[in-house]
Amino acid sequence: MKSVLEILKEIRPEFDFAASSDFIADGMLDSFDMVTLVAALDKNYGISIPGTDILPENFQNLQTIEALLRKTGAKL
Amino acid sequence: MSLIQTAGQVFDAVQKAKAGATAYCTNFFPVETKLKSWIDHGEMDMELHDGAAFFFRKNRDFLHFYFCAADAMTLQREITTLSRMKTERIVTDLVGNEAALNGLLPALEPAGFRRYARLQRMARIGQPESITADQQIGFAEAADSQALLGLLEKSFDHFGEQIPMLYEIESAVENRQILVARRDRALAGLLFFETQGLASAVRFWTVAEPFRSLKIGSALMHCYLKAHAAVRRFTLWVNAGNENAIQKYRHYGYAPDGLLDHVLANEMIHP
Repeated sequence: MKSVLEILKEIRPEFDFAASSDFIADGMLDSFDMVTLVAALDKNYGISIPGTDILPENFQNLQTIEALLRKTGAKL
Repeated sequence: MSLIQTAGQVFDAVQKAKAGATAYCTNFFPVETKLKSWIDHGEMDMELHDGAAFFFRKNRDFLHFYFCAADAMTLQREITTLSRMKTERIVTDLVGNEAALNGLLPALEPAGFRRYARLQRMARIGQPESITADQQIGFAEAADSQALLGLLEKSFDHFGEQIPMLYEIESAVENRQILVARRDRALAGLLFFETQGLASAVRFWTVAEPFRSLKIGSALMHCYLKAHAAVRRFTLWVNAGNENAIQKYRHYGYAPDGLLDHVLANEMIHP
């Protein structure tokens, strides 16, 4: 199973996600990337992130993404 | 239909459409600052339906349509009840890869939407090896706003390419988002961009007809890239059929990244 950081790197290899605390403000993820990321996370962790949780604040950094995954039942 | 007064109304309506959704679908990804500006200018209204929220933004002589629905079936069922589809000129967009778009298109066709244009996103990573700057390129000034609007309206299709309103141009000028080239005091060309952190997007890049073939477009692009040394990812949208423009972007290192924007128009625009 890939880590969240590895999945992010696959989607946007040009950015250093580990060095950012706000992916949105830093321009590293846009709304289209979020849709791609949700699909990749769903597949990787065998979960289904609810539409109500697809909000920018849940994709702000590694910690918020991992919190969202835990809430959705993913085993990290 | 109800005129939207606050961004909170929009987000509440979106959450209602998402609640209990099994295959949520949308073409609405609002950036809060832009959404607030549209609301402040009285351009946004919405209709709430069973399992769906529909938003309309007034843009010159037509409406831009956005949807949020529990699934494609709900979208298809509810969209056909919108009376404005038969009386107003309406444009909408579907952004995604080809497969995702083909999944949603059948839900919009019963409301009269047909393909109007296809845009493709192009991206480039990092800076070119060498950039030369042109002395005659500078940021637009407030007094340029009307001329900028005129050049945009002459150069781009207003249904397909989301030309900004005058107030949006004025705001972009104030925020130093528009580079201009002048020749004998006349506005010869412009490059309108939006930068967010490490990413920057060219929204419009054009040279006025009398000034073409003078390397003004090239000077604008060089100046733009030079001014964004810290940016890692550059993007733009281009009409997929405009080979001339695509070749120019390729020259500057842009390449298609697989994302498409299908612009659809209803029967009031192309019967």
